[in-house]
Amino acid sequence: MTWVQNLLSGVLIGAALIFMGFGVIGMFRLRNFYARILISAKVDTVGFLTMMAGIMVSAGFSFFSLKLGLITALVLLTNPIATHAIARSAHRSGYQVKRGPMDD
Amino acid sequence: MLTVALAVLSFLGLVVMLRILLGPTVWDRLLGLNMIASKILVAIVILARLMDLAFLLDIALVYAVLGFLGTILMARFIEKRGGI
Repeated sequence: MTWVQNLLSGVLIGAALIFMGFGVIGMFRLRNFYARILISAKVDTVGFLTMMAGIMVSAGFSFFSLKLGLITALVLLTNPIATHAIARSAHRSGYQVKRGPMDD
Repeated sequence: MLTVALAVLSFLGLVVMLRILLGPTVWDRLLGLNMIASKILVAIVILARLMDLAFLLDIALVYAVLGFLGTILMARFIEKRGGI
């Protein structure tokens, strides 16, 4: 039982680190602000979710996992809203991307 | 595994800090701030699991709420050009 738990949590945490790394790479690779904000909204949330799932598996069925589930639910709700607020702020302020040959 | 995750998260946070430093627009910096707050939240949770201290999760919860509020308020502050 316990080695299954260890293996599963290790795989999930590794996948989460890979997701977060992709998010950071995309933040530097993409040249467009709205593309970057897309990366932050989706890849980062997925990385967070996977990481929390991995830690929950490693902690087992306990009070710790319940609290962790509460944090996960909260962030799952608030992270896209915060990103949306930033994108809306940029759009309402009249920020527009320049079309160019280097568009990704 | 958790210690390795903590180290990688610190490195990622440093890289995102570079985006805050050289982001062309103010919204890029805000985005980097949001991302770094998420990384710090994950680091707090990993620390709570490593040291087996459940009360650190309460701190993580408060940190998540405060980071969310701060991002929303700063975005609105920029959108309204000085008013909330």
